Amino acid sequence: MTAIALAAAVGALFALGTFLLLRRDLIRVVWGLAIISQAANVYLLAMGGIAPATADSVPVLAGHGEGVPETADPLVQALVLTAIVIGFGMTAFALVLSYRVYEEHDTLDVTELGDRE
Amino acid sequence: MTTTLTATPVGTESQLVIAPMLIVLVAAAATLFLGRHPRARAAVSLAAGVAYGLAVAAIDWYIVLAPSAPGIATYQVGDWPAPFGITLVADGLSAFMLTMVAVLGIGSLVFSTRRLPGGEGRSYYFPLFHFLALGVTGAFLTGDLFNLFVWFEVMLMASYVFVAYSGGPQHTRAAFWYVALNLLASAVFLLGVGGIYATTGTLNMADLAQRLADPAAYGLEPVPVVGLLGMLLSVFAIKAGLVPFQFWIPTAYRAAPPQITALLAGATKKVGIYAIIRLSFTVFAGAEVAVDLPLPVVDAAIAGDSPLPFVGAALLVMGAGSILVGGIGAVGRDSMEGVFAYSSIGQVGFIAVPVGIAATTVDPALREFAIIAALVFALNHTLAKGLLFLAVGTVRSATGTSRFTDLGGLAGRSPPLAIAVFIASLALVGIPPLSGFFGKFLVFDVAARARAGPVIVLLLVGSLLTIAYATRMWNRSFWGARTDAVDAATIDPVQVGVLAVLAATIVVVGIGFDPVYEFAETAAEAALDTDAYVDAVDPQEVSDLDGSSGGDH
Repeated sequence: MTAIALAAAVGALFALGTFLLLRRDLIRVVWGLAIISQAANVYLLAMGGIAPATADSVPVLAGHGEGVPETADPLVQALVLTAIVIGFGMTAFALVLSYRVYEEHDTLDVTELGDRE
Repeated sequence: MTTTLTATPVGTESQLVIAPMLIVLVAAAATLFLGRHPRARAAVSLAAGVAYGLAVAAIDWYIVLAPSAPGIATYQVGDWPAPFGITLVADGLSAFMLTMVAVLGIGSLVFSTRRLPGGEGRSYYFPLFHFLALGVTGAFLTGDLFNLFVWFEVMLMASYVFVAYSGGPQHTRAAFWYVALNLLASAVFLLGVGGIYATTGTLNMADLAQRLADPAAYGLEPVPVVGLLGMLLSVFAIKAGLVPFQFWIPTAYRAAPPQITALLAGATKKVGIYAIIRLSFTVFAGAEVAVDLPLPVVDAAIAGDSPLPFVGAALLVMGAGSILVGGIGAVGRDSMEGVFAYSSIGQVGFIAVPVGIAATTVDPALREFAIIAALVFALNHTLAKGLLFLAVGTVRSATGTSRFTDLGGLAGRSPPLAIAVFIASLALVGIPPLSGFFGKFLVFDVAARARAGPVIVLLLVGSLLTIAYATRMWNRSFWGARTDAVDAATIDPVQVGVLAVLAATIVVVGIGFDPVYEFAETAAEAALDTDAYVDAVDPQEVSDLDGSSGGDH
């Protein structure tokens, strides 16, 4: 059940992101990029498996002796954390750039940008 | 309990692996704090460039080329053994790529100390330069798929700023599309990495190769790997600028400062090529997946249980497209950097085609020879195209323009500049005894040995287009009547000096080609020798760790 919900969420995020990415407004394009990178993060998290983990699926835990608690795969969480930080930085940069585009071209409409070669 | 996570002794060779990365990282931090002292900033940058070159030379000699060299060395970051920690690996292929980048990078750095482009962003130029070098170096050295993603991002972040650096309307617009495209590519990269982790349970490249070669022992179902490799290939093809992912190149290359464009063409493109070669041949070649593709171009039988035929087919198609689109596009451009940007798309096609043949053939000798050809061609492209983009910088800073309508008679104005550009153009065309001759000759030889008639025709067409646009560029800007802009130009001697040194390198590589060929051969052997790679990284069996925990779960 969780798997279906996650798959639906990832699919919906990608659909929304792609839709926004194809808009004419630059800010929506940035929104689209941010949503797609979040969709990739959710997907990455789901790839670690959503079953309660044991030392079999999380080998690092084996080095910690007895009484290993049930836990999700820590590796994908570390990966997602890195990806989130990178994604936030990139989104911020894209926003700054689109502001600069607005300053220099007086418009955020993609088609008008193309005309002013 | 006994833990297997014990520290391994760290030898000199091991420390050498991380040296170039540390040097550029320290240089980036130092130059960031020297923002108010332009002279000190330039001095630190030059010192770092020299130290980087020495570190790469030391890797070349002590790890790869010396008679008793181990051929491959690893550095386990934080002493965590593979596959748990991040592994850095230097082998022949990494060393070859690093050497190319070091030669061009130092040239570009010296060039940059003479005239920094742009106004307000000036104090960030050198830190960004070093971060770009850091990303490229990390991508060449890492042995971990997710870490490769991280180094790609480091490299891209610096390049985003450089594309937007000059700050005009076109630059900002070019930078926005460059950033948007690469953000999308990064999401696809993450999808590929996540899928591979879900399929195989590891991201360490050596561990991955080991598991894919023997899926039954690890309980894997490796079939999805072909599609995931396809996703990764498309990301690397964007970095390399292969058709159909070439559209961002002309605008981005025009927007970035010329000495950075030289690096974008000479270094970050090669990161894409390197990642394709490393993942296809070292990591995924052993995967037992039957791929059955009808590919009439290459005569050699396509069979076997690996995703390589798929990679080969994709690369041959993309390479063919690149050669045609780049060549035809370059003929009609109206400025020097426009010609070189399209030419860069075409030349990377010449690198992709032999790699594609290497992936489709089943003959091990031909496969190694094809990779050698691709590497030699890549070396020539880095030297010649790097020189040409730097020459655009010289012309632009001297005359204020690089459009053919405003240029003419440059040959009489500065013979050394003209001679350097002439040598690089001849190297692009492939005239002996320059480095370009051997690159082109080897690529044709590979196509002939594979008995791939259509590929030979394609390469011939590409070569004719190269002659056409090189001649046109030369006639329009270096011959003819002197324009006012050229007459009023003051040409910087140090910049021309850098060009002369690079031109001399092209000639020296061509005349003393044997050691270069041997180095490329070592690199190709390293790319194909999965066993040596796995042995050097030595990923531990995960089941061993389970055993040591007592198995009470």
